[in-house]
Amino acid sequence: MKLSIKELVGPRCIIKEDGQKIYEVIHGLLKSGETITLDFNGVSQFASPFFNFAIGQLLNDISEDELRRLLIIENLNESGSMVVDRVIENAAQYHGDKDYQKIVDDILEQQARESD
Amino acid sequence: MTQKIIQIPTLNDTPEDFQQLFEMSNQVNGLFEDVRFDFSNCKFLRSNAVAFLGGLARLIESLGGSVIFDWDTLRSNSVRANLCQNGFAGNFGYNAKAWSGHSIPYREEMEPDMNEIMDYLTFSWIGKWVNVTDRLRDAISGRMWEIYSNAFEHSDTEVGVFTCGQHFRHRNDLILTVVDFGRGIPAKVKAFLSQFVDEARVAKLSGADCVKWAFERGNTTSMGGVARGLGLDLLKDFVRINQGKLEVYSNDGYAIIDKEGERFDNSPISFQGTVVHITLRCDEKLYRFYDEAEE
Repeated sequence: MKLSIKELVGPRCIIKEDGQKIYEVIHGLLKSGETITLDFNGVSQFASPFFNFAIGQLLNDISEDELRRLLIIENLNESGSMVVDRVIENAAQYHGDKDYQKIVDDILEQQARESD
Repeated sequence: MTQKIIQIPTLNDTPEDFQQLFEMSNQVNGLFEDVRFDFSNCKFLRSNAVAFLGGLARLIESLGGSVIFDWDTLRSNSVRANLCQNGFAGNFGYNAKAWSGHSIPYREEMEPDMNEIMDYLTFSWIGKWVNVTDRLRDAISGRMWEIYSNAFEHSDTEVGVFTCGQHFRHRNDLILTVVDFGRGIPAKVKAFLSQFVDEARVAKLSGADCVKWAFERGNTTSMGGVARGLGLDLLKDFVRINQGKLEVYSNDGYAIIDKEGERFDNSPISFQGTVVHITLRCDEKLYRFYDEAEE
């Protein structure tokens, strides 16, 4: 299945609402193992909220290997590719259950060291 | 009702100038009655001050106060011309229409109208002053959107987002300032972390600690199972490549990212909200994509 992103959301892939729209079209199909091509022909502007929602959240229940096998991205320019790569890398490392206690302890420890 | 007169000094965009703006903001905090801004001592006003003052005026109005910019006290013709040109004066009671020149329009956004903001960034800001390919112009505008995305989504601003920019012909710098009077990054980060960690420990985090945390890739105060937290990171990378400068002032913390590196520090004066101030160099060589050959 091939989807024209320009037809679905226009020439700007910027906001999370548009990203969510794409996610809702492709998520179920990818889960059932279908190959999908996202065609970015005619799309010229990109920002991370769009890709966080369109592609990043797919990694919540699809493995990165599976996603790279099933999702084909065409005609995405260098600027868009750079954002997608960063979004996938970030989503792959994302854990909803971060150890915030340790994070705060580490910051306070560093703060104490710096004030010594 | 008594009227509070606030002197607008000459304001550039050094960290000390930002502190002066925050001090002005604190002068009206809690008063919110009638405020008259006096320009008698103002010989120069940069776009960061323009965006900030516009936002501050709308904040006062939203809380029931009234604001007058006393145009009769403005002695500097260059400040007057600049404020007329960028549309600020026309927005605040001075009978003048904006015109195109080296200023970049002053804007007030109540809602994140993506197409309007992207048009502004693409055609009135970067596209007007930097001679780059359309592809690069579009890429830069996309990076700048990350600022608006953060301001609208994370700040909980009730009076909107305020922008102004300027192009400095001699130095060939392009500036954009985006201001909101929302909760501020440190307040937001502390509220988020307090959901997981003892509040007394979170309270020990400084403004600098919180701003630094917000700049780290993948850190976000958003919940809901979608990985986020790339906006400031992407912006930082872009400014570094451009050899520009990114300054973020929020509550009692600030960050300065430039060719010297990254600095996170505590502000001597706190204010409720966030200012993002970007200085880009208009040298097209700094913006090329890898596949765009040099001529």
